[in-house]
Amino acid sequence: MATTRLLQTIELTKRYGGVSALKGVSLSVDSGTVHGLLGENGAGKSTLVKIVSGLQTPTEGEIHLDGKETGPADVKRMEGLGVFLVTQEPAIVSSLSVAENLVLGRWPHRGVWVDVRAMNRLATNYLDGTGLDPHAIAGRLSAVDRRKLNILRALHSGGRLIILDEPTTALTMADRQILFGFMRKLKREGVTFMFISHYNEEILEICDSVSVLRDGALVTDNQPVASVNSSALSEMVLGRGLHLFTRGRAGPEAAQAPPPNWQFRGLRGSNFRVDHLDIAPGEVIGLAGLPGAGAQEVARAIYGLVPAEGTVEHAGLTGSLPADPAEALAKGIAFLSDDRLRDGIVAIHSIAKNITLSSLGAISSGGVISLARERDLVADFFKRMSIRARDASQPVGQLSGGNQQKVLLSRLLATKPRLLILNEPTRGIDVGVKEEVHRIVASLTRDGVSVIIVTSDLDEMLRAVDRVLLFVNGVVVDDRAATSLTKEDVLRIAYSSSPHLVTPAVPAEQGAIVS
Amino acid sequence: MTAQSDRTADGSIAAPVLAVKRQRSVAVRAQVVLQNVVWIWLAGLILIFGILNPFFLTTSNLQNILVQATVLGLLGLAQSLVLLVGEIDLSIGAVTGISSAIGALAIQRLGLPVGLGIIIGIGVATMIGFINGLCVTRLKMVSLIESLGMMITLQGGLLAISQGNTITDMPGSYNWIGQATLGGWPLMPVVLLAGFIAMGFMLRRTILGRSLYATGGNAAAALVAGIRVQRIKIIAFTLSGFISGIAGYLLAAWQGAITSDQGNGFLLYAIAAPIIGGVSVFGGRGGTLGILGGVLLLTVIHVGLAIVYVPSFYVTMIGGVLIFIAVAVDALRVNVLGDH
Repeated sequence: MATTRLLQTIELTKRYGGVSALKGVSLSVDSGTVHGLLGENGAGKSTLVKIVSGLQTPTEGEIHLDGKETGPADVKRMEGLGVFLVTQEPAIVSSLSVAENLVLGRWPHRGVWVDVRAMNRLATNYLDGTGLDPHAIAGRLSAVDRRKLNILRALHSGGRLIILDEPTTALTMADRQILFGFMRKLKREGVTFMFISHYNEEILEICDSVSVLRDGALVTDNQPVASVNSSALSEMVLGRGLHLFTRGRAGPEAAQAPPPNWQFRGLRGSNFRVDHLDIAPGEVIGLAGLPGAGAQEVARAIYGLVPAEGTVEHAGLTGSLPADPAEALAKGIAFLSDDRLRDGIVAIHSIAKNITLSSLGAISSGGVISLARERDLVADFFKRMSIRARDASQPVGQLSGGNQQKVLLSRLLATKPRLLILNEPTRGIDVGVKEEVHRIVASLTRDGVSVIIVTSDLDEMLRAVDRVLLFVNGVVVDDRAATSLTKEDVLRIAYSSSPHLVTPAVPAEQGAIVS
Repeated sequence: MTAQSDRTADGSIAAPVLAVKRQRSVAVRAQVVLQNVVWIWLAGLILIFGILNPFFLTTSNLQNILVQATVLGLLGLAQSLVLLVGEIDLSIGAVTGISSAIGALAIQRLGLPVGLGIIIGIGVATMIGFINGLCVTRLKMVSLIESLGMMITLQGGLLAISQGNTITDMPGSYNWIGQATLGGWPLMPVVLLAGFIAMGFMLRRTILGRSLYATGGNAAAALVAGIRVQRIKIIAFTLSGFISGIAGYLLAAWQGAITSDQGNGFLLYAIAAPIIGGVSVFGGRGGTLGILGGVLLLTVIHVGLAIVYVPSFYVTMIGGVLIFIAVAVDALRVNVLGDH
């Protein structure tokens, strides 16, 4: 297959003060391919795509498109040349229709009036075969349709090189397939993609070639994906072999597993019915299922985040489910949110204040915080979690995703939980930190902490948990050891249910995550 | 300097580290300057007013400034509590008027003891704050409009109970705090000082303070972290009402009168002062020292313009321009250095 070079950067360098974010990066992207861009958090991926899309100017170096230098670039100019960046937060006006969003800023008009008929005609033609309804309100679209709309908008504006920055975050397995199918179709029509993702399997599935950044330098340029496998990718990203975490599981003595110390009974919520849910000390269970099938909702209900009925028995005490998170924490339950920015970190506050937020009672007397005890607590976690930051006074919003996650884990662990609920614990963090997270969890379980993991990353779940509970339609349809399950089993069971679940309705709340 | 050390840095490790450190220390210094811009601005204005009229720098005038700053300072604190949790309370000015009027009328008409009347007034103010909090949290009313409605209602209420008349001739013991001095120094600023120390301690050192910041910084995250966000907001509004009640009493005692539009003029300055001092309207950010700076700045502008004999027709306009500049400088700080 004859390929032509679409994008070539020459010795791109970006310095902030004395710190180099990019060091002489010469990246090449071929026309009509999906080009994967990999690297750890903070390796320079964002800086590189911001420069290529004109959001930032390089300190040194050149960008060539179709063999011609672009000259000093800004967003307008790069968009004019066909380069569009689609970020993690799709820029969609929720209250407008799909058609209006498609032509946003380029309205067909008669005088000062928007020509609504022309707009809808244009959108109908343009969206033909994409599965998007031009009259639908953008805010009601599913997560994957929003991504599609963003890509289409870029194409409609003349895009040839579409840069997708972690487009699969917050997408379900099924949605990812829809997105990938859509990308393949556009690729056949000659569109070129740059694709940023932390998931090796996604890279292997959708990309034709990959480039890898490490510490601001390009260590792999335009290597065909056919020649690599998952562990090779991890090694390129980390610069060392990655020892994948697999949970050490009890062997023959599993029969003498300790009796459960967390017993939930009669859980009833708006969309789930779970009669009993038992967790033993030191056990890690995984809740799996399609969105809306109940796994997420049960986890949130146990922490008192959604109203639900049911009882919990722990340490000889029986009571109703916690009414709110404060009560859950008092019972020894801690919860990691699946969306750090939405309801995890307080981005404008310091690392220290974020770490101690849930355990202020433990470091104070009579409502007055002991600054010395707070300092000790923070210093302890700062070191234990090896948080990479200037110091504990740095605002959490300035940290990379992986370090933000470590801050949140510190906050949870500072409460000395006996039951840890981890909702998508490794979303948006790089492979190295992912494994660290699992090792931290493993060390907690050795101290008898029980853990519930909810994740859409099935490979990871099967590696990291002892037992999987599979949710379909709000009930647990399968409950067995992770070792006796494969990813295919899980998918087959999850999809085997009533047909309407195959395209699950996305709850309004989840839609909002992506907007 | 920096560019040079970069160039020589090739191959060596120590040099770039030094360059970074040097650059950071410059940035830190610039930040210190801009973060205390309120105080620098304040010192500059005091100097200028002092040169224009040496009387400005006399002890008696400075005492006067502190006395004048007391009511505004307390209202600034009251507003800050609500701003910190990401809400706003437009009713605090009206609360000072109606709560002090109710207390005063209880003394005058019902013959209640002065102390009890004062407590009733402050209690009414606290209750209004509590109701504001309930409306904003339980009924999910937008605080901007809820408190606007409350403000208009209270203004009308004051007009109704006073029948448009100014309430005067309060007992001497009621007015005492407004006039009392200790060793030649007025007592009012002592209340101001106590208020700021208490608020500073509460914000920095208590669980309540942290909860207020977290609620304003990211309410959803605070909730998941185990903070009862709604309760914290109700507490913020209630405390805000309580402090406004104290401010209302002090204003009445100092003036020796309660007009039928008492307190209304304070509202916008009580919003401006904390914001000039670095409190974010989006919540979660700001400190007591900044609020104090903002309050003193506005008071100095107010008193200074009167003392240098700016004709009264121009005072409001020039005062507005000075506030405008202060906010512009603060915006510059945020744009240049990022908001911390």
